[in-house]
Amino acid sequence: MIDTSVELAGVTLPNPVLPASGTYEVDEVHDGFFSSSELGAVINKTIFMNPRPGNPPPRIWETPCGMLNAIGIPSEGLERFLADQLPRLRSLGPPVIVSIAGNSIQDWRDLAAAIDRSGSADMIELDLSCPNLEEGFIWAADEAALRRVVTSVVKVTRLPVISKLSPNVRDISEMAVIAERAGTAAVSMVNSYQGMAIDIGTRKPILGNITGGLTGPAIRPLAIHGVFTTFKKITVPIIGMGGIATWQNAVEFLLAGATAVAVGTQNFVNPLTMKEVIEGIAGYVEEAGFSSVRDIIGLAQE
Amino acid sequence: MLPRPFDIMQADSREQTLRLFVKVEGRGTALLKSLKPGTGVKITGPLGRPIENFSCSSIAFLVRGAGAAAVVHLAEAAGARGIAVYTILSASAASRIVCRKYLEPVSTEFLIATDDGSEGYEGLASDLLDELLRRKAIDRVYTCGSRRFARHVQRLDREGRIKGFVFLEGLMACGMGDCHGCAVPKNGQGDYFLVCRDGPHFPVAEVVL
Repeated sequence: MIDTSVELAGVTLPNPVLPASGTYEVDEVHDGFFSSSELGAVINKTIFMNPRPGNPPPRIWETPCGMLNAIGIPSEGLERFLADQLPRLRSLGPPVIVSIAGNSIQDWRDLAAAIDRSGSADMIELDLSCPNLEEGFIWAADEAALRRVVTSVVKVTRLPVISKLSPNVRDISEMAVIAERAGTAAVSMVNSYQGMAIDIGTRKPILGNITGGLTGPAIRPLAIHGVFTTFKKITVPIIGMGGIATWQNAVEFLLAGATAVAVGTQNFVNPLTMKEVIEGIAGYVEEAGFSSVRDIIGLAQE
Repeated sequence: MLPRPFDIMQADSREQTLRLFVKVEGRGTALLKSLKPGTGVKITGPLGRPIENFSCSSIAFLVRGAGAAAVVHLAEAAGARGIAVYTILSASAASRIVCRKYLEPVSTEFLIATDDGSEGYEGLASDLLDELLRRKAIDRVYTCGSRRFARHVQRLDREGRIKGFVFLEGLMACGMGDCHGCAVPKNGQGDYFLVCRDGPHFPVAEVVL
């Protein structure tokens, strides 16, 4: 038996596979496929301070090997989250990552402090990179904003903070360096690439939000490049994501330097994906003669 | 490629078979059509909110085009419970009428309207519904396949003449409430339902059409 656990900023994950925020609900329907207690970590759909409805439809559009989305993060708000969803996530067993997003520095701070106080989270992920908010601001695409959010949040919580970075920048590895200097304990990369589609019949943008974020296998080579180049520049761990559809794809991210991997769009296609990825990674590591998943992290760097 | 949502038209638990209605519209349905008999396909389901309570004495269906497929299962179940079923099928032309062979046998009354008059009433099927409501006591109306008809049923519902329901569709990636793609505006709340999780059928009073 190989050791599948990995260490993420002081938190031990039983295996390196988790859902990307907002792509997998923990509920009865999903437990019919496999138990969420088998995941490396669980994470919520990003929570905002106040309830928000999300964007007008159409919200998604299929593209070659991927999809555009402009969901706009519907959120039940912090209060309901703390009362209903967080206790459910906590009860599952795996480490709990709580994804938060603020509309102001004060929001970010208040949210992080509230999550810390709840005592039910192991880590906090800052969703600094959703491209689909009406406020229209990608925190992680602006050096000063990124620095300010991370610096402010780490002051109000003892929990390890993960910064979810945007690929909609000149060089994502430089943004990772900024996040690390500001005190982030890990980075998640990559969020979606900004994109759009136009209906040639109506001659109008297809998505209700006009623009959206591209995800799925189409962005995988771009995401691998992001992880590979970032790994050389920072010492904090990377959660790699972007188009992981199979365990082979996940292994690619680990070899590039990711300590853990997140599955997003493929959860929509096959709800068993994460279970298959968990088993596939273990099988690969064993077959290759290693004793731990940790042995293959960053091997492609050498 | 993302999975595609379909209505279950018929389910036979003894034969262990499902019958789906597939209208070839784009790449996904074209691929399905190209499959050879015996080819395996992966299906996740049944998904969505089941229609658990439809007890009443009479139901009318106002459906257009491929929307007819969405109500076959309910029409059959209602017929089997002794509920009077009134079906109004609408299509652009006689050649575009579908699911007749499933709906006609379970219907107390079966009406057709076509845009070009090639079969049945020439004109709006909603006229036939209005006429039916004058003649018969109808408790519930289910509609699918036309926004225009859905709005018509919504008006009738508001006037308190019937209880109206609509089957909606939406672009969806997962079918299980994960992607939040298939949003339908909730009536008066600035919020959204998800077709996949909260639907696909909704009381017309609760949605913005």
